[in-house]
Amino acid sequence: MLDTAFLVRRQNPGFLLTSLSYAGGLLVGLTVSAMLLVHAGVPASALVDEFLIATFLTSDGLSQTATAALPLVLVGLASAVAMRVRFWNIGVEGQLWLGAIASTWVALNGIGPEALRLPTMFVLAALAGAAWIAISLFLKLRWGVNEVISTLLLGSVAFLLVQHLLFGVWRDPANSFPVTATFPEASWFSILGWGQLHTGIFLVAGIALSIWFVMEHSRAGFYADAVGFNAKAALATGLPVLRTAVGLVLLSGALSGVAGMMIVAGTEHRLNQSVGNGYLFSAIVIAYLARAKPLWVIVVSFALGAVFTAGNVLKVFYSISEAMIVLMQGTVLMSILMAQFFSTYSLKRPN
Amino acid sequence: MDFLIGWIAIIPSYATPLLLASLGLIICEKAGVLNLGAEGLMAVGAMTGAVTVLSGADPWFGLAAGSAAAMALALLFGISTVALRANHTLAGLAVVAIGLGITGVVGRPYVQKTFPGIPNLGDLFGIDRSSAFGRILAVQDPVTLALPILVGALWWWISKSRHGLRLRSVGENPAAADVAGIDVQLVQFGAVLASGLLCGLAGAYLSVATSHVWVEGMVASRGWIAVALVIFSRWNAARALWGALLFGSADALVPRLQAIGADVPVYLMMTLPYVLTLVVLVAGSMSGRRSGEPAFLGRVYLRQDKQ
Repeated sequence: MLDTAFLVRRQNPGFLLTSLSYAGGLLVGLTVSAMLLVHAGVPASALVDEFLIATFLTSDGLSQTATAALPLVLVGLASAVAMRVRFWNIGVEGQLWLGAIASTWVALNGIGPEALRLPTMFVLAALAGAAWIAISLFLKLRWGVNEVISTLLLGSVAFLLVQHLLFGVWRDPANSFPVTATFPEASWFSILGWGQLHTGIFLVAGIALSIWFVMEHSRAGFYADAVGFNAKAALATGLPVLRTAVGLVLLSGALSGVAGMMIVAGTEHRLNQSVGNGYLFSAIVIAYLARAKPLWVIVVSFALGAVFTAGNVLKVFYSISEAMIVLMQGTVLMSILMAQFFSTYSLKRPN
Repeated sequence: MDFLIGWIAIIPSYATPLLLASLGLIICEKAGVLNLGAEGLMAVGAMTGAVTVLSGADPWFGLAAGSAAAMALALLFGISTVALRANHTLAGLAVVAIGLGITGVVGRPYVQKTFPGIPNLGDLFGIDRSSAFGRILAVQDPVTLALPILVGALWWWISKSRHGLRLRSVGENPAAADVAGIDVQLVQFGAVLASGLLCGLAGAYLSVATSHVWVEGMVASRGWIAVALVIFSRWNAARALWGALLFGSADALVPRLQAIGADVPVYLMMTLPYVLTLVVLVAGSMSGRRSGEPAFLGRVYLRQDKQ
């Protein structure tokens, strides 16, 4: 057992040490993941092929990776902005479902003029996602209800809501599966002519850059960091702590909602039971690996998009289930969490 | 009346996994380690239990195997949080991801295969099912029956015994415990392993004792409800019993209504346990009583830090 007496918190770990422990953790996590894949029946020689070449270095693969990365960027940002003010949004999936429900409602009922169909879906999805997280935010501010639990449970509630709709009023009678009818084309992001990649990429790029600007170059971002580091000190300094936190938490919900819209309007063109699956851990892993930095969120989302793309191939050829991706995410997260010990603390010999 | 008896009869089997997991979490959190990994630990317990029994082992051995496997995952959680001082929230979420992931991967060939579970009291003692009481008692199993004793013992152990005092002191004020000669990390490790044992048992109970089958996602947020149940019970084992019964009744309501063919919006009804959890948490906060949360819960203790 490590004796606490010899454990010293490093005052200033420095860039090199931080990067090294992070890289070491990442490497160990990825190695363990690779071993898991090999153990599950993927030949080691195919790993580079499936995860690097087929996802980044072929035109087909890269377009798939980019398409898969779009909602991931949004949920990653959602998790990141909430993390910056120390609000654990574990209900990304729930807000995503609400966004998907709102945009499906617009699409199926033809709300608003056709030219404004996508903007309407966008606004309502953002509002729905924000409204869903607002419940948890209100419960926390008013009664101190732990947001980890409330956001997560509301995620389960949202999924049941989707099932209620899919097995009820929205079920497409022409289909034996519980899915809605295909949306009219006015509710689709148009295809750019490169794989499945659609115009949603411009929306995501715009959102990501705006959030990068707000978080890194605006007063609001500075406030957010102050609140995240020490809310009491920020309050004592006279910063608008409550307004900053509330704003970013609602933004987090809105981003998740838009991710839901991105999936149904971009790739699925209908609502089904699986559009939100797997985004909860993805969001947390992206935000944590990216250190809640918006530009890094984009990078990590692309990497994870590649994992999803490769996962689809592995599913078909080696019958690797989706659970493998969750397991790999958990492994990498745990490994980096543990590796951080070496940059946060140093072991000193007693004099 | 028939509906009522049927409902009451299955409430204990719904309450048992929630209670077992909550008891494990209470021990863990009394030592100051915030454990959000229950969902993953339960999944590992459920899958291992099912796979063990499917491989021909005795159902009782399946329960033990499930607990042991979850303890192994809890050990990883303990290494990360207790020894390496990782953030408890993130480490807990990583445990959930690992638990859900590994059970999906390993348990895939065993999905939807039914197996014999542990016998209920009716089979064991040939209870007469003609009276209402007999009908309710006959479908209970020995684990459920033993639970009140476990709750009582744990309550006494935590709040009255010398070892319980040590456990609590670590969660309330590790610096004071340290000065008093208690090995803070050893106690925390023990508490984390105990939570693995009980959460694993809770999961194995789900597959081996109630469903007699393993399917992916069968824990279905019960681990998270257990986390909430701990807050509701104000970290008190005895109150967790009542909480588990309350949630168990809500959980058991939907399958009973379905069984009698009532025309209810099933999926909306299934939100009941989740909504109830939130309502209960709000009610607990409004009552204004002390939450009972261990003062050092989820924080990192270093001996030289000023408290």
